[in-house]
Amino acid sequence: MTLATATQPTEDRDRAGASRSGNRRSGPDTAFHLLVAASALLVLVVLGGLVLLMGVGGSQAFRVFGPGFAFRDVWNPVSDDYGAWAPLFGTILSTLIGVVIALPLAFGTAFWLTAMAPPRIAAIVGTAVQLLAAVPSIIFGMWGFFTIVPFMARTVQPFLTHHFRHTPGLRFIIHGAPFGTGLMTAGLVLAVMIAPFMTAVMRDVFAAMPNMLRESAYGLGATRWDVMWKVVVPWSRSGMIGAIVLGMGRALGETMAVTFVIGNVTAVGWSLFAPRSTVASLIALQFPESPAGSLRLSALLALGFILMLLSFASLALARMLRRDTK
Amino acid sequence: MTPQTSPGMTQDFMMTETDPQTVKSPEVALAVRNLNFYYGENHALHDISVNFPARRVTAMIGPSGCGKSTLLRIFNRMYDLYPGQRATGEVMFDGRNILDHDLDLNILRARVGMVFQKPTPFPMSIYDNIAFGVRLHEKLNKADMDARVQDVLTRVALWNEVRDRLNAPAAGLSGGQQQRLCIARSIATRPEVLLLDEPTSALDPISTARIEELLDELKEEFTIAIVTHNMQQAARCADQVAFFYMGRLIEVDSADRMFTNPKQQQTQDYITGRFG
Repeated sequence: MTLATATQPTEDRDRAGASRSGNRRSGPDTAFHLLVAASALLVLVVLGGLVLLMGVGGSQAFRVFGPGFAFRDVWNPVSDDYGAWAPLFGTILSTLIGVVIALPLAFGTAFWLTAMAPPRIAAIVGTAVQLLAAVPSIIFGMWGFFTIVPFMARTVQPFLTHHFRHTPGLRFIIHGAPFGTGLMTAGLVLAVMIAPFMTAVMRDVFAAMPNMLRESAYGLGATRWDVMWKVVVPWSRSGMIGAIVLGMGRALGETMAVTFVIGNVTAVGWSLFAPRSTVASLIALQFPESPAGSLRLSALLALGFILMLLSFASLALARMLRRDTK
Repeated sequence: MTPQTSPGMTQDFMMTETDPQTVKSPEVALAVRNLNFYYGENHALHDISVNFPARRVTAMIGPSGCGKSTLLRIFNRMYDLYPGQRATGEVMFDGRNILDHDLDLNILRARVGMVFQKPTPFPMSIYDNIAFGVRLHEKLNKADMDARVQDVLTRVALWNEVRDRLNAPAAGLSGGQQQRLCIARSIATRPEVLLLDEPTSALDPISTARIEELLDELKEEFTIAIVTHNMQQAARCADQVAFFYMGRLIEVDSADRMFTNPKQQQTQDYITGRFG
């Protein structure tokens, strides 16, 4: 009882106290009250537990390498020397690539589905979007491995190398042997994975927009382009930020699909076509080989801790952006 | 059934083939001839023929689903946004049939403005709400745009209320203010016709009265077609009233005659509140 009431706002607690002293709350009611309060409390316990586990587990790595662990560009199990920069860089960049590619795809699909598509076709495509969102990530991993990786290795990379090898701005982005794996491939696979989620959210946002508002804009003689950019986008900005954060959250933590196509080399560099690694893929690959109590395991847990912080940061950013729009 | 063009119908408001070139007849802004409308298989308007005199208020009344809003949405081809909706017949506006497939809809809609049941301010500032429509069709410099904004806001009696916060979001205005803003937005593109679809149905009585006063002034410059459920509103504002029932035009006449001495029994029943 003390636990449950402790989580309530003051006035609620007062009311609960009054009803208790008045002996009006029946047994089942109290039990229900406890149950729902406990499940809500469980959220805090789980969250705290996760942060604690990662933090305590990774504390050895943080102690040995200092707070600069996050920015050390080294991952060498042989000399037991670790830093988070390479996988962190890979995670952030592949996520950004994924979101940048998925955003226009999702926006276009959602806008077409809600504003332009004939109802019957919209229903079919809408269902396909939901099915795509339900495909397990391992499937995308295998698809990426068997389709995107060879495509990148045999077509995209040779083409880019041939045409842009000497272009100053592009040279360092496309540099690398044509393995087909790397940030670009991972970003593409991530984009295909998160686009359905973002589409679903944006579609709901667009559908929630009053028809009259849309018609008002058309009624002034606006083209679809004007209506989209000047009315629909500003009106749904907050919801679109939500869609982006949802996609980002999924891309940041995506493990299996990325592991299949990123090449898993702990190196840092701007080339989008050289093998890299991400936080999640590195943890998944090296966790089974890291004995309990080893510095390597601690470094992996520290990576997990940083990944959590990254997710929280993206959420916080979204909240700030949303508040700006109000 | 064809619409009843009774012999006693006022020549002020009707100009049909049977009473040509009467000197008293004002010019006709919109001439509807044998208009039919379909929502897919559903035949929603049957063979409508009616004139909308220029610079007069024509009210369209009738029970829900009678087709009056449908007719309104034909005049700016709003139905074009939705697949499966189509119209046949003729709506002549400035020498052209509005229903022509090669008509430039953006230009038509600049010339035929529309205001909706609920205020629909865009998610932008008060100033930009007005400027939005103007920018679509005209390139004005800052001073001219400022003047246009002030002019239309003054005409809807909103200028004094918002002059100090033109850059504030339009969503912060009251419902009545928002609706007046929407009217200002519609007349900012300098249309000839103004379509009002139950413009006061979401407003309180005071805001409603202000909008009705506004219509009286606006009709000196614009041809106004207003759909309303409110019989008093039609009687107060309209010069001409058209009564629709089940997708057909039952009767059209001057407001005076319509409310004192309607020709059709159905009209009589509706305006006295016996149905609908």
